[in-house]
Amino acid sequence: MFFHIILERNMQLHPRHFGPRLRDKLVSKLMKDVEGTCSGRHGFVVAIMGIEHVGKGLIRDGTGFVTFPVKYKCVVFRPFKGEILEAVVTMVNKMGFFAEAGPVQVFVSNHLIPDDMEFQSADTPNYTTSDNSVKIQKDSEVRLKIIGTRVDATEIFCIGTIKDDFLGVISDPGAAS
Amino acid sequence: MSGEEEENASELKLGEDFVKAKCLMNGEVAMILEHRLEQLQQVSDDPLNQMPQVFEKSLQYVKRFSRYKNPDAVRQVREILSRHELAEFELSVLGNLCPETVEEAIAMVPSLKDKGRDLDDEAIEKMLTDLALVKKFE
Repeated sequence: MFFHIILERNMQLHPRHFGPRLRDKLVSKLMKDVEGTCSGRHGFVVAIMGIEHVGKGLIRDGTGFVTFPVKYKCVVFRPFKGEILEAVVTMVNKMGFFAEAGPVQVFVSNHLIPDDMEFQSADTPNYTTSDNSVKIQKDSEVRLKIIGTRVDATEIFCIGTIKDDFLGVISDPGAAS
Repeated sequence: MSGEEEENASELKLGEDFVKAKCLMNGEVAMILEHRLEQLQQVSDDPLNQMPQVFEKSLQYVKRFSRYKNPDAVRQVREILSRHELAEFELSVLGNLCPETVEEAIAMVPSLKDKGRDLDDEAIEKMLTDLALVKKFE
């Protein structure tokens, strides 16, 4: 889910930027430093929307750099356990498939794919029901439920399932042809 | 990490950082990110190149999965859903997934059926019909 939240960060600025455009410099540095980063706590920072508040700067001993506490509004993407969302399948193999929901990768193991879907190792590997009515392959759109998240320093991975009511394929790129 | 363990979106347990946060539907995120991209276009020829991959992926995702393309429709959807005393998270999930039946809506957002909520099947049905109407007249 995408959220609009307020975050805080201490920004260090070199004294050469002090002047009438100090605030602009602070904003552009903040965008450069923060946009595109990911933390386990707040998720992926997609875009900064504005500055809420810039606190009083504090001169660092020894270096002359000044630290400003900056509060800013931003759009983040944070997956939650139990959340249901839509995703695009990026890779299919016999272990299961990977899908992408915005910046986050979700893996759905073959144990969490309905039992009536079998793996087929054709040119485009896929999972298909015995009557061929439903097929999951690269670029399929699926609705899945996140059942677990794993967080490391700069990335969030999710484990998902499509083995539940109202989950599974919503559109299949091959169906039209 | 104890807070991490207790997280569960189906029970609306989002952790202290996110309970107060405003949730955004995919259509709203698309509006915000496209606006941002337009601003960048004025100063640069190839704005997408300057943005991190997270931005690009998010924009592609929300454009692909937004049920409502038109900004007015997105606003109407939020307006309709907010009449029903939903939590922010519930509102956004319903707006994103657009369930067609009451049963589906409850499967997507189990907390709709929590005890002590004044939301019967009829009210949910009415809400879904209103949403479908917005889509139809978009």
